[in-house]
Amino acid sequence: MFQFLLKRLIGLIFVIIGVTFITAIMGYFAPGDPIRVMLGDHPDKVLELQLRHSYGLDLPWYQQYGNFLTHLVRFDFGLSFRYQNRSVWDILKEGIPISAELSLWALLLQILIGVPLGILCAIKANSWLDTLNMGTALVIYALPVFVLAVLCQLFIIWLDKTTGISWPNSQWGRPWYYSWTDLQYKLAPILIYAAAGMAYFARISRTSMLEILYQDYIRTARAKGLSERTVIYRHGLRNALIPLATVIGLSIRFLVTGAFFIEYIFSIPGIARITLDAITNLDYPVIQATTVILAVGVVIGNLISDLLYTAIDPRIKAE
Amino acid sequence: MNAHEPDPDAARLPDAALLSPSPEILATAVTGEDSSLADQQQEKKAATPRGVSLKRLRRDRRAMVCLGIIVLFVLITLCGPLIYQHVGNVYNSPLNGPLSPDSYHSFTHQELNRTDEGPSAQYWLGTDALGRDLLARLMQGMLISLSVSVIVEIVDLALGITIGVLAGYYGGGIDQFLARFTDIIFAFSGLLFVILLTGIFGTQADVTLGKLPLIGANGNARLLLVSFALAFTTWPTMARYVRGQTLQLKQQQFIEAARTMGTSDFRVIIRHIIPNLFSIVIVASTLNMVHTIIGEAGISLLGLGVQPPGSSIGLMISDGMTYLSTHPWEALLPSAVLAIIVLVFSFLGDGLRDAFDPRSKD
Repeated sequence: MFQFLLKRLIGLIFVIIGVTFITAIMGYFAPGDPIRVMLGDHPDKVLELQLRHSYGLDLPWYQQYGNFLTHLVRFDFGLSFRYQNRSVWDILKEGIPISAELSLWALLLQILIGVPLGILCAIKANSWLDTLNMGTALVIYALPVFVLAVLCQLFIIWLDKTTGISWPNSQWGRPWYYSWTDLQYKLAPILIYAAAGMAYFARISRTSMLEILYQDYIRTARAKGLSERTVIYRHGLRNALIPLATVIGLSIRFLVTGAFFIEYIFSIPGIARITLDAITNLDYPVIQATTVILAVGVVIGNLISDLLYTAIDPRIKAE
Repeated sequence: MNAHEPDPDAARLPDAALLSPSPEILATAVTGEDSSLADQQQEKKAATPRGVSLKRLRRDRRAMVCLGIIVLFVLITLCGPLIYQHVGNVYNSPLNGPLSPDSYHSFTHQELNRTDEGPSAQYWLGTDALGRDLLARLMQGMLISLSVSVIVEIVDLALGITIGVLAGYYGGGIDQFLARFTDIIFAFSGLLFVILLTGIFGTQADVTLGKLPLIGANGNARLLLVSFALAFTTWPTMARYVRGQTLQLKQQQFIEAARTMGTSDFRVIIRHIIPNLFSIVIVASTLNMVHTIIGEAGISLLGLGVQPPGSSIGLMISDGMTYLSTHPWEALLPSAVLAIIVLVFSFLGDGLRDAFDPRSKD
């Protein structure tokens, strides 16, 4: 176990170095000079050199990269190019809780709705309920998240016109507050954000449960005269959940991509939105910081799902 | 399939018949399917695994309908604009004077006093907020989706198969490289890398690639960048599939036989391994096209892909989003078309997978 963790940690460090290196190279070759943009139309030579020095941009690229890495260890992402007196962390600080809230709820909903739905479909396999649910899941899983989001907004607007309830179709309430107005803001984005994952979890858990239900030990349990309830929930369900642990890692990757579209379409000021703004303004330190944060999030998500997998299934030894 | 034909080297040996595996064994080996499952009739006349799979595909009604729709879409995309630009009467525009259909049915033409119209005889699917023909823009957008996915698929296949086969066959350094590279690319999850690359180098690409003939015009210059970025992030997945399949194939008897007879590695790879990758590659690349089409549309929707006056399905959705409450049609139309394209490709991909690799589900 210890060896496995160590190995994965080394892998994590390797990935962080790779990701930061690629973003650093992109930043180095990025067109446009941020210092010139800051100084405007009348550059002052001395000021320019001073600024360049304070951002460390007068150093060769490998030293810039080295500095970035050493600061990264202290969670110091430097200063923003766009807002000269604000640190990158200061900018991200506002977005992180919102994005975290959004994705946490989405992940929870995916598991809490998707998995039971899949299990239900497996138990009632080939009934109309199963066909309906799996058909819907197939379509929702295949559709891109931004199409779902646009359709959802259209629906809200249509509902607004016909019934007159003024339901908001963009913006986000206060993070981690759940009054009625906050909930109104949050409901649609979270549901759409979770939709694809829900469908995915439902499909995976249905397949997994169906496979389990045909195992010999399930037949044995039934032959022993156990109630159907015990057979399904105690013997079936537990084993059906094992493969789902690996899927969680994958669904975190979905969430990262989804964040860009959800936050863009619903105008939610989360970390993905900040990244998009930073990209349009070529605010490089911010881009680098968010890339690293998202990448680390994904890698840690994968690590957690691996650990879960080994924790749930004693047959699998962590290697 | 080439690998089942007796190898010319093998034919010289007396017991070549023993060495070259029978079609049934190969059917099991390649598609992972029991011969009992295979079609009985097909077995009588020496069925190739690919033939069996194709037959299975042809019986899959949903996949065949999807294939039909894809063919229809491709036809509309390629021939539609040519026909559409010659249909209609001369229109006396109060702003631009008399116009022939090939100008008012082009995707860039703005007819500023005919904005936000519904479908009519002149504009079959209506016009957008700038008075541009929605059908013409839609067909151009589909052309963009199609060409980006074809370019990405070519790069993806070339890189994925080459590196995947080498990594699976030789292992060692190249295998390590693939594993590490994949880790890094996966950490840039989904579209993050594409968003970064197109966001940072987009404007520069507009300037430098914009001078290119044909692709440079109409704000499409960035598509090369988008395609490159998409291909760069998708090929490791293909390489991983190919690597896995190569590892399996490598241990099979017909490869062993070929190697025992002194066939060179190069020849083994070209004649025996690559032809046997057909099933896995076709399934992976169909499903991959879905991701590419979604990726391009998404990037354009974020404003980082095709630039106006060009058209892309994503750009159309993004344009329409501004007028959701007043003219929902303008966002609904491209969204619906994209949804259909994506669904049709995924269902075809699923059908292909069921036909070529019946054991793997989900």
